Amino acid sequence: MALVEVRDLVKNFILGDEIVRAVDGVSLSIDKGEYVAIMGASGSGKSTFMNMIGCLDVPTSGEVRIDDIATSEMDSDALAELRNQKIGFVFQQFNLLARTTALDNVAVPLIYAGLNTADRRDKAKAKLEEMGLGDRLDHSPAKLSGGQQQRVAIARALVTEPLILLADEPTGALDTKTSEDIMQIFESLNDAGITIIVVTHEEDIAQHAHRNIHFRDGKVIEDKPVIDRRSTKDDR
Amino acid sequence: MIGNFTHSLSAWLVNISIAMTALRTNLMRSILTTLGVMIGVFAVTLAVAVGSGAQVSVMQSINALGSNMALVFPQPDSEGGSRSNFDRGRLTMRDARAIEKQIDGITQIAPQLRTNIQLVVAGRNASTIAIGATPGYADVANVAADTGRFISEADVRSAARVVVLGPSVARKLFGGFDPIGETVRINRAPFTIVGVLESKGSSFGNDNDDLAIMPISTTRQRFAGDSLAGPDDLQMLFVGFEDGVSLSRAKRQLTALLRDRNRVRDNEINPFTIRTTEEFMKETGQVTSIFQIVLVAIASISLLVGGIGIMNIMLVSVTERTREIGLRMALGAKRSDIRNQFLVEAAVLCVIGGVMGLILAFASGFALTKYADFPVPIGLSVAIGAILFSAAVGLIFGGYPAIRASRLSPIEALRSE
Repeated sequence: MALVEVRDLVKNFILGDEIVRAVDGVSLSIDKGEYVAIMGASGSGKSTFMNMIGCLDVPTSGEVRIDDIATSEMDSDALAELRNQKIGFVFQQFNLLARTTALDNVAVPLIYAGLNTADRRDKAKAKLEEMGLGDRLDHSPAKLSGGQQQRVAIARALVTEPLILLADEPTGALDTKTSEDIMQIFESLNDAGITIIVVTHEEDIAQHAHRNIHFRDGKVIEDKPVIDRRSTKDDR
Repeated sequence: MIGNFTHSLSAWLVNISIAMTALRTNLMRSILTTLGVMIGVFAVTLAVAVGSGAQVSVMQSINALGSNMALVFPQPDSEGGSRSNFDRGRLTMRDARAIEKQIDGITQIAPQLRTNIQLVVAGRNASTIAIGATPGYADVANVAADTGRFISEADVRSAARVVVLGPSVARKLFGGFDPIGETVRINRAPFTIVGVLESKGSSFGNDNDDLAIMPISTTRQRFAGDSLAGPDDLQMLFVGFEDGVSLSRAKRQLTALLRDRNRVRDNEINPFTIRTTEEFMKETGQVTSIFQIVLVAIASISLLVGGIGIMNIMLVSVTERTREIGLRMALGAKRSDIRNQFLVEAAVLCVIGGVMGLILAFASGFALTKYADFPVPIGLSVAIGAILFSAAVGLIFGGYPAIRASRLSPIEALRSE
C-alpha cells in the first residue's frame, strides 16, 4: 500500500506579475519501507514538492495522501498533528534551538504530542542514546560538532516514532566523512522499516537510496530504481 | 479530565520555561521592556495607595475632631430659604442648655469661644488659637491631658487663669522641659499651665496639636468680650451624641429647636449653621474619591506606555524568531501552541515588571508613611490587583504579536533568515 500518494500536484508561485509553476502536475506514490532520493538542480521544484508531502505547504491543486489520509481537506491544526505523529523532518541547517540542550531539543515534538515532562525526558534520552549521544544530553548545539548536531536533529525527527523521515539536503552542511556517518544512520533506520525521503543534489548521496526521482522544471523527468546501490556496508 | 488538566498545566510550564529562555537570551532588552511595566505598575499602585491614604488621613482628622457629633455655630446658613432679618447669627449658652435638656441621645455638650492669643515665656513666644471651653470639651472633642490635668468645673466657675497647652505649643515654649505649674503670659496676663494635651498628630499638614485650652469664662472675660453681641454668646457648640444615634435626625431636631428658640419664620433662613461629622465624612469621601480617580487615571497613562513597549518588543521578538516558529510548526506545534507561547512570554515580562513595580511601590509607601507622615496603605488586594493587572497588560498588548506569530505559514517561517 502506498504510504505517500501524490496526484496531479501543482504549486504556483507569483513572482511580481509572473506566475511560476514550481511543481507542474506530478503524480507518484512511495510505498512503506522505501528509501527514495529526490534529485534535481536548484529551482527544479524538488524542495517545493518535498514541502507539500511534508504538509508544510499547501498545493495549488492536486492531492497529497499520507498513510491513506487525504490532506487537502485538513485544517492547520490537523496538519500540525499529522506532521507531529507521522513525519520526522531533518534539515540542511539542522535547525536546533540555540541555548537549549540536546535533550530539550529532542523533546520539543513531544511537547506538542502532549506528553508530560518525565515521559518527554525518557523518550528523548533513549533516542539520543540510540544516536550515540548519550554523553551529550546536556550540551547546547554550540558545543556540538556539525555531525553531532545533525544526529540530535535526527533523534528529534524520530522521537515521535514517525512513519516517514523527510530529509532536505541532510548532508549539505557536513564534510564527506560525517556525511557518510549520517548515511549509515539512514540506512540502518531504513532497515528498521522507516520510510526515508531525501532531497539532494549530490549523486553520492542519492546512490544510497533504493530509488531516485529526478525533477526538472517542476516535472518528474526520471523515476528509476538504483541498480548499483551504494551501501555504507560496502566500505568495510 | 484530570489528565487533560495536568497536560495543559505541563504545557503552560513548558511555555514559561521557553519564555524564560527567550527573555534571558535578550537580557538587556527584556530588562528595559520590563522597566516600562514596572514604572507603570509602580505609578498606578502608588496612586491607588496615596488615594486611600488621603481617605484614611481625612477620616483621621475627622476622628481627631471627635466622633459622632454635631457642630453648631452662629453663622446664617445660606442653604435654601429667603434672606432674613438676621445679619449675624446668634448662639447662646441658654441655647446650649436647652439643647442638652430637650434632645435625646446627647452625651455631652461643649460650648466654646475661640480667639487668637500670644503666649510669652522667658523670651520665647508663640501664637496659637485659644479654645475657651468647659470640662465636657475633653469628651466630645476626644482630647485628654497627657501630663497634668484638663480644665475643671471649678476653673470655669472662678474664671481661673489656667491654660492647657497643645503639645506643639508646649514644645515651642519650653522645649523638652515639663511646663506643668509654670507661668505663661497670655496677652500680658499671667496664666498657670495646668496640663499638656495628648498629641493628635497632623492631618493634611494641619497641626492638630497647635492650640491652647482655657476655661470659657476666662476667655469671655479677657479676650472675647468685645466681639460678642451678648454676654452669653457662643462662637461654637459641639454636641456629642451616643454611638448609633442618627446624626441626620439629630440635625433636624437641633434645627427645629434652634429655629423655634430664635423665632425664625418659615420662609427665613437659619441664623445658625449645623454640620455633623457624618456630613464631613461623606463630603470628604467624595472629594478624596475624585482625587484618587484622577491620580489613578494619570498613572494609568504610564502603564499604557509600558504596555505599548511590550507590544513593540514582542513584535520584534516574533520577527527575530520566525524561523523558530516555523520549526516548531514543522515539529507539530498548532497555531494555538505558538500563540500561547508568545502570550506567556509577554505575560511573564509584565508580571516580572509588576512584581518589581509593586516592591518599589511598597518601599515608597513605607518611606512616605515614615518620613512624610502621610499614610500610604498598600493592602493585599491592591498587591494582588497590581499583579493581575500587569498580567492583563501582557495578554492585551502581547495578544496582537502572538496572534501574528501563530498565523505564519510554516514553510515561509522556516525559510526566513
